[in-house]
Amino acid sequence: MQAKAAVNQKTGNTLNNAFASHFAKSMFLSVTALAILSFIGTRMFTHVDLNLYGYMVGTIVFIGGFFYRFIAWGERPPTKLILKKGLKLLKRKSTPKTSVEHLATYNFIWNRGIYRWTQHVLIGWGCILSCFVTFPLVFGWMYFTMDDNGHYNIIAMGMKVMTVPADGIIANLSYNALNITAIMVIAGVCMALYRRLKNMQARAEQNFLYDFMPLYMLLLVSITGLALTFMNIFLHGAGQPAMSLIHQWSVIITLIYLPFGKLAHIPFRPMSVLARNYREHYAEQGMKECKVCGDQFVSSEQSKDVVDVLGVNDIEFKAKEGHHLAEMCLPCRRKYRIAQFSGFPTHEVKVKEANQNAKG
Amino acid sequence: MKKRLYLELENCIGCRSCLAACTQCGGHEERNRNYVYDVNPLVNRQTMPLMCLHCENPACARSCPAQAIQIHETGAVLSALVEKCIGCQNCTIACPYGIPKFDQEQNLMYKCDLCIDRTKDGIPPMCASVCPSNTLQWLTDEEIENKKKQFNLDNGKWVTSMPYLEGETNVKVNLPGILQGITKLF
Repeated sequence: MQAKAAVNQKTGNTLNNAFASHFAKSMFLSVTALAILSFIGTRMFTHVDLNLYGYMVGTIVFIGGFFYRFIAWGERPPTKLILKKGLKLLKRKSTPKTSVEHLATYNFIWNRGIYRWTQHVLIGWGCILSCFVTFPLVFGWMYFTMDDNGHYNIIAMGMKVMTVPADGIIANLSYNALNITAIMVIAGVCMALYRRLKNMQARAEQNFLYDFMPLYMLLLVSITGLALTFMNIFLHGAGQPAMSLIHQWSVIITLIYLPFGKLAHIPFRPMSVLARNYREHYAEQGMKECKVCGDQFVSSEQSKDVVDVLGVNDIEFKAKEGHHLAEMCLPCRRKYRIAQFSGFPTHEVKVKEANQNAKG
Repeated sequence: MKKRLYLELENCIGCRSCLAACTQCGGHEERNRNYVYDVNPLVNRQTMPLMCLHCENPACARSCPAQAIQIHETGAVLSALVEKCIGCQNCTIACPYGIPKFDQEQNLMYKCDLCIDRTKDGIPPMCASVCPSNTLQWLTDEEIENKKKQFNLDNGKWVTSMPYLEGETNVKVNLPGILQGITKLF
């Protein structure tokens, strides 16, 4: 106990000591932040849209599930390593460019196929834009008031941003924002479902809970959302109260399920930016030379990190020559294995490996 | 009946049918994921195939920060999940056999998945179904056991897989008797 207390004193990290766990701390901080932002945004809770309070509760449950999943994931040795080192490198000049390419324009998916890119942009941006509309409304960060008849004031974080005519373009875009994103999501989900029926790889690996359920939920959210608009315009609001509850239910279920299904890649994906920075930064610091042929094949730092991570998992690949197998470049490592099979040191023959890429 | 990929390395004649067949597997997008190496390229024509051996404790999956490499219920270590792979290439460094390939443009690792669309239904993987020299075979554990009995074994030289590999694997490898000067009794 004394030793532990001494360590605490030394690091002086009193904030962490106030909480029973990482999870409790993260939950407390994020719920407090939400409450403070709502307090400011709704002008001391005077403009809360109680119609949307179910979403509020759903969001908080979602945050609970999210931290549970994210913290467990972040504790895995390789994940922790990349998160820790990647976050330190966030100030690199290339970060904005990498982030846009990985998280907004999805260039790498374009390279996997235009169909898949289109599908991903429709679903991805449909969902992101919907979130940008929904969450500010739920937490009161954005709301509308009317001073003059026929003119809406758009209030963001309690401040009047602009006044727009109620039948103008901006007003109409605001009313229909979720209708537009719903159509984007429906189109994207249909493309994704079609691919899942046709693509052999997808068909082999997919399962209902992980791959299909999120797609069906997105479809349900979008269709019930559009049905609300339909009922308002064409049915004079008939059935609207029931449908709004169905819609609310579908959104909350989707949110709560998000950290556990395929959609979990949304909060986890930004790590690809960290990984790219990690690779670029340490490649500049110094490259590892292959123990056999001398080729520079990876940064020294990553080579060391991978050896350490494997060590944590009780995996130790020692070559007879004394070095770790991870210290050989890939072709040499393959030849080294052939050498173990045949007894002839293939990796020491100074001949480039034969072409290993068959033309399909 | 659970079957395994079984490699009898010394049978390889270097035709590279397995590479060509690999490109044609559904989902492999016309890129092969296996290798064929010359054993002693300047001296003779002996070749040997090398493919993912589907470790029981796969280093690639252990080193993956994104949990992108999943292990199928059949024991196959799958290629990276496209939505999870973050392109760090830890797996290529960790794999003791140097198997995973990486596509810079797609920011995606891809590796042998034992043609999971076929093997999950008991159909042999592409490489094993085309191999003309029985280097790559798709056998039950019993058949592998029979093979073991068929050879001259009491000299302690026959070994499948261990200790020439780094750990237990789902793919079984028979070491090449010819190169070790051991006679195989067919």
